[in-house]
Amino acid sequence: MEHRWDDDEELFADLVEAVRGVGPEPGTLAADARTTFAWHTLDDDLLLASLTFDSALSGVAGGTRAQEPDRASRLLVFSTSAMSVELVVDRDGRLVGQILPPCEARVTIEAATGEPTEVTADDLGFFMLPRIPADPVRLRCETAAARLVTDWVRL
Amino acid sequence: MDDEVEFPITELVVAAAGGNAGAWAQIVTRYRPLLITVVRQFGLTPAEVDDVAQTVWLRLVEHLDALREPRALPMWIITTGRREALRYLAVERRTQPRDPSRLSAPEVDRQAAPLDEELMRAERHQALLAGMAELGTRHRQLLLLLIEDPPLPYAEISRRTGVPVGSIGPTRARALERLRRTPSIRAWMAAEADGRSAARMKG
Repeated sequence: MEHRWDDDEELFADLVEAVRGVGPEPGTLAADARTTFAWHTLDDDLLLASLTFDSALSGVAGGTRAQEPDRASRLLVFSTSAMSVELVVDRDGRLVGQILPPCEARVTIEAATGEPTEVTADDLGFFMLPRIPADPVRLRCETAAARLVTDWVRL
Repeated sequence: MDDEVEFPITELVVAAAGGNAGAWAQIVTRYRPLLITVVRQFGLTPAEVDDVAQTVWLRLVEHLDALREPRALPMWIITTGRREALRYLAVERRTQPRDPSRLSAPEVDRQAAPLDEELMRAERHQALLAGMAELGTRHRQLLLLLIEDPPLPYAEISRRTGVPVGSIGPTRARALERLRRTPSIRAWMAAEADGRSAARMKG
């Protein structure tokens, strides 16, 4: 079937529009790419916990804005098949988390830039962080049974 | 997969997943235009677009292992870019509910053209940029140089690419043919032929 893009000039004209619309590449791109890749983990035993729920998106995800996002706090859930991590971020930027099923753990909060913070989860799996970094973060949790790392997210 | 189509992306993904930083840099360079185009639709400022892009790249680093199918990477970038832009907007709205400039940007954009038409254009651009990402390095570089604004003289393009001035025209035609055969462009052209948007194109 005939398509507009079967014609070289039509295809090229649309390509010009698409590429020019992006704007110039920032000079820092190569450095940014290296920084990002420095976070690459090659560890087969590490479980990756995907962000499976975020209350910030619950009112928007379907394309409607009928529901105002909850202004009091934000709930996030990261899941693997065996274990999950729930986070509540309150309006003052404090974070309370729980590892499920509940167990003691060492929890490291890694920020894309800056030093990691380490806290301890008690025997009910609860842990707290008084201040949240402005950069994207991820959590690394080590329990007696398993080690997991969450998806990156901006809190 | 058609053997004629040069398709280095799967190899890049496998190499990057295995820890090859050069392959990762190639992926970011090739797919950045697609990601930026996807995220920008949501009316974010350039600095905000960079914030969202950073989160998406960080997340992609750990998801490479799951993206070894040829079409999986562009689809993942489009889906994750959209979701992270929405998340950014939702969180910004929650923390800064009274900033009118931020909230009005998408509405202003939409007044410029009917929503349908704008969405179609955005999807068309995404298909083209995904196709460009799948193109071989030399063809991709030549097309990008030919698109430069203001235009570069052929002598300069020849100097940068090593393609003789007299061969630039024919090489451009081959590059466009290759672009047409990339999985992303083929998928887009097939979808249009199927009629989802064929009626709109005629009108």
